[in-house]
Amino acid sequence: MPFTEAIRTALQSLRTNKLRSFLTVLGILIGVSSVIAVVAITEGLDAYISNQVLALGSRSFRLQKQPDIITSHEEWKEMMKRKRIELDDLEAVRKACTQCAEVGASVGTGGSAKRGRTIHKDVRIIGITENISRIGAVRELAQGRHLVQQDIDQAGRVGVVGMDLVDGLFGSVDPMGKEIDVDGNKIRIVGVAEPKGAIFGQSQDNFIWIPITTFQKLYGSRRSISIQAEAVSMERFEDAQDQVRLAMRNRRHLTYLKDDDFSIETGESIMDLWQTATRGIYVVTIVVTAISLLIGGIVVMNIMLVSVTERIQEIGVRKALGARRGDILRQFLVESVVLSGFGGLLGVLGAAGIALGLGSVIGSMMSLDFSAPVRPWAVGLALGVSSVVGLVAGLYPASRAAALDPVEALRNE
Amino acid sequence: MSTAAPDTFNGPIIDAEDLWRTYEMGAEEIHALRGVTFKIDKGEYVAVMGPSGSGKSTLMNLIGCLDTPTSGTYVLRGKVVSEMDDDELAAIRNREIGFVFQTFNLLPRASALHNVELPLVYAGIPRDERIEKARQALEMVDLGDRVTHKPNELSGGQRQRVAVARALVMNPSILLADEPTGNLDTATGQDIMALFDRLKEAGHTIILVTHEREIADHAQRTIHIRDGQIESDERRTS
Ligand SMILES: Nc1ncnc2c1ncn2[C@@H]1O[C@H](COP(=O)(O)OP(=O)(O)OP(=O)(O)O)[C@@H](O)[C@H]1O
Ligand SMILES: [Mg+2]
Repeated sequence: MPFTEAIRTALQSLRTNKLRSFLTVLGILIGVSSVIAVVAITEGLDAYISNQVLALGSRSFRLQKQPDIITSHEEWKEMMKRKRIELDDLEAVRKACTQCAEVGASVGTGGSAKRGRTIHKDVRIIGITENISRIGAVRELAQGRHLVQQDIDQAGRVGVVGMDLVDGLFGSVDPMGKEIDVDGNKIRIVGVAEPKGAIFGQSQDNFIWIPITTFQKLYGSRRSISIQAEAVSMERFEDAQDQVRLAMRNRRHLTYLKDDDFSIETGESIMDLWQTATRGIYVVTIVVTAISLLIGGIVVMNIMLVSVTERIQEIGVRKALGARRGDILRQFLVESVVLSGFGGLLGVLGAAGIALGLGSVIGSMMSLDFSAPVRPWAVGLALGVSSVVGLVAGLYPASRAAALDPVEALRNE
Repeated sequence: MSTAAPDTFNGPIIDAEDLWRTYEMGAEEIHALRGVTFKIDKGEYVAVMGPSGSGKSTLMNLIGCLDTPTSGTYVLRGKVVSEMDDDELAAIRNREIGFVFQTFNLLPRASALHNVELPLVYAGIPRDERIEKARQALEMVDLGDRVTHKPNELSGGQRQRVAVARALVMNPSILLADEPTGNLDTATGQDIMALFDRLKEAGHTIILVTHEREIADHAQRTIHIRDGQIESDERRTS
C-alpha cells in the first residue's frame, strides 16, 4: 500500500471520528502547547529581563552590606554579623574610585504617606544622594525638579514622589509644592517621577525620594546604605569595582587572607538569578510535557487498539484482497502518527494562542512591549516528538492488526 | 466484458490432493475437511453444496488461499500454495482470486469506486490507472453511474455488484463466491446469477457455494460435501 493511500485512509478515519480523535489527542495537545508556550514566554521574559538589566546600566554596580541573593540560613547569619555601610564609606569610595564616573548612595524603608485624611500605605521611602537618578537607569521626571546637592547638604524636607503617590493622595490636584506627611514628618513635593509600571506585578512608582541626610535624621543612621557607582566606561567596569573593593578592604583593615565583608553586586548577578530561575521553569516544563506526552501516548495506543478491534472485519477484507502484513502494519502506524501529529498541530496552535494572549497580558502588566515568539524549531520539535509518540503508541496495535488471521478476521461481525 | 487472464498455463487451474483441515478446540480435534481431492479446469463453473457445517466454507478458504491445509497439497495454476508463507499467500489472493462474500464485505466509509480500487492499491498500481480500471469494472456490472455512492447509499443487489466488480478488477484466475445470494431477495439474487452467467460466458472460472438447487443449476458441475468429504461430483453437459 503506497504511503499516500495510507495517509488518505488515516485522514478519513480521523474525519469520521472527529470528537473521539480530539479527545484522544488532548494529552499530546497539552504537552505540546505547554512546552512551546513556556519556551516562548521565557524567551520573551529573557529578552525583557536583559533589557531591564541593561537599563539598570551595564556599567553600574552596587556596594552593599550583603548580596541580593542569600542561599542559606548559615550565610544569612554570617551576613547579619557584617558591619553596616555608612556615609563615611561613601566619601572614601568617592575619593578612591578614579575610574568611577558617579558614586552615589541610597537607603530605604517602608512607611506610609498622608495628606489630610488620605493615607497611602506601603510606600518605599528612599534617602538618596542627588546623583542617584543619573546612575544606571536614568529616571526622568514628569513634573518639577530633581533633588539637588543643596537639598542634601541642608537635609531639606523636600521630596520627589512616584506616580502611585500622586494618584493615591492627590487625584487630579496638582501635587507640586504641596506638603505631605511621611511617617509624621512634613515633606514638600518638588518633583514627580515619570511612571515606569510594574515588574512581576510590583509597582515601580510607589516611592518617595528624600535627601539621604534627611532620611538619616528622620529614621536614624543605623541602616546600612547601598553605594551605587558607575564606571567611566564598559572597559573600566572591572577596574572600578576593584578600586571600590580595595578602598573598602583598606577601611576595614582586612588582611589578604580574609574574605570581603561586604558585597559588590552587578547586573550580572540578577541575570544569573534569572537564568537559574528559568532553568527551573524549563525543568518543570519538561517534566510536565513528558508526563502529558506519556499519558497522551497511552491514550493514543488505547484508541488505536479500539480502532483495530472495531475494524477487524475491514482488516480481514483488506487481507482477502491482497494486503500483506506490512500493508496493514503501515496503515495503522500511519493512522496513529497522523492522529498524534494532529494533536501536535493543535498543540502548536494552542501554544501560539497562549503565547500571544499571555504575552499581551504580561506586556500590559509591565506596560512595556513584550512579545513571546513561537520559534519554528519549537514547532518542528513539537510535531516531531508527537509523531514519534504516535509511532511508538501505534506499534503494538498495528502489529496486532497485521498479525490477524484473515479467516478469523472475516468471520468477525 | 473483460476476458480472463491470458493464460500460458495448460493444466488444471486447481489441483487439490487429499486436503485435510483440522481445528484444535482445546483437547478436541475437529476435522472440518477429511481428505478432499478434486481438480478444476479453466473456465469451469462449479457449485459446492452440502449441509450446514459440512466444510464448504473451510474448503473455500483453502481454495481462496485465506487458509492453508493441515495436510495435503493444493496447487493453484502450477504453484504449490500449501507451502507458501503469509505474504506469498497475500500476493496470490491479490492476483489470482476474486472473492464475493455473502455479506458483501464492502468498506462502509469508502465510495463504490474506492472499494473497487482496493485490490489495485495492494497490487501497487498507480492512482490514475486504478481509477480507470475500477471505473471500467463498475461499468461492467452496470454501476457506472454509482461510482461515488457509499455502500449504505446502494441497494443490496447493487452492493453485491460492487463486490463482484471488486473481485474482477484484478482479472483473477478464479472467482470465489460463498453464498453470494444468501443476503438477497430472490429477484435480486437472480440478477446476480445472471451476472455470473455472463462472466462464465466471458471465460471466467467460477466456484460458488450455495444451499439452493436453483442457484446450483446455473453451474455445469456440482460438488456435494458431507462431513468434510466429497460425497458426489457431477457434471452436466448442457
Ligand atoms: N475456526 C474454527 N475453529 C473450530 N472449528 C471450526 C472453525 N471453523 C469451522 N469450524 C468447524 O468446521 C466445520 C465446518 O465449518 P464450515 O464453516 O466450513 O461449514 P459450512 O459448510 O460452511 O457451513 P454453513 O453452510 O453453515 O456455512 C464445522 O463443524 C465448524 O464448526
Ligand atoms: Mg459456510
